[in-house]
Amino acid sequence: MIKVSVNGEVKELDENLNIKQLITALNYKTKGFAIAVNTTFVSIKSYEETIIQDGDTIDILAPVQGG
Amino acid sequence: MTNQTHADDSWEIGGKTLKSRMLIGSALYPSPANMEDAIKESEAQIVTVALRRQAAGEGGGNNFWDIIKELNIHVLPNTAGCHSAKEAITTAQMAREVFDTNWVKLEVIGDQYNLQPDPFETVKAAEILIKDGFEVFPYTTDDLVVAKRLADVGCKILMPWGSPIGSGQGLMNPSNLKAIRKQFPELKLIVDAGIGKPSDAVEAMQLGYDGILLNSAIALAQDPVKMAIAFKYATQAGRLGYEAGTMQEREFASPSTPTVGTPFWHQFS
Repeated sequence: MIKVSVNGEVKELDENLNIKQLITALNYKTKGFAIAVNTTFVSIKSYEETIIQDGDTIDILAPVQGG
Repeated sequence: MTNQTHADDSWEIGGKTLKSRMLIGSALYPSPANMEDAIKESEAQIVTVALRRQAAGEGGGNNFWDIIKELNIHVLPNTAGCHSAKEAITTAQMAREVFDTNWVKLEVIGDQYNLQPDPFETVKAAEILIKDGFEVFPYTTDDLVVAKRLADVGCKILMPWGSPIGSGQGLMNPSNLKAIRKQFPELKLIVDAGIGKPSDAVEAMQLGYDGILLNSAIALAQDPVKMAIAFKYATQAGRLGYEAGTMQEREFASPSTPTVGTPFWHQFS
């Protein structure tokens, strides 16, 4: 198991998960958000090739009101 | 004879041709329905939006996004809350994917008390984002040199503040805003932040600014929908006034009624 931070909350996950598997494991829908790992944007095209590492910080952002 | 009752209609910004010169925010309204009505009544064609963390299975953000999509107007994602060029660049890239636009309202905050933009990080982020294909709408102060640096890195649009975000203090320093207008006739200039009253919008537009961006002044009004209409007309009135050309100010009074034939004046000697 590895420990990662998802939107500020610590989660324990299986090793060698890619972003696509992470989304499923965390019960996210398949679209309507964007992801950054360690403050770097990861595009949808790169989800499968991006493997989550122990200690990673992951941000999952969706549209909200803004000024 | 001209019969022009509207400001010189269409204008261009970020590669789009628009009629409205008001950019409106989507935050702080009493309800989503009120937000929707206010945006519609404003007739704004650009609405600002943001990105925030979403919990798993949450639908709230998407409900908001569904309303905005239904409005069928241009979306301008912001990087609000970012404190470094790195954070702003990542947020802009995430926004480009989610909102499917290369427009970004670049905000890099340098001071938490008055939410003043960090000019150094803003310029750094703007340069990188422009090279990455973004149309950058940078939120900046009314500092002429910062405006010059932003123009130097390729910004075609500048958005100096009227006063701090959400303060409603209007235009703190009209002479600085005027200097930026004079110095950069070729850039699109939007007064962003601090507008509180419709008269502030008139003042900004009379300075020759291409548009205004506001949120709190409408959303926090007692009747946001009515205030949205007020700002629509204020923006148009200010633009019309600018296009019409205001009279020269004079130091002394000058009668407007003809003096020839003034009654009750008699020469006896």
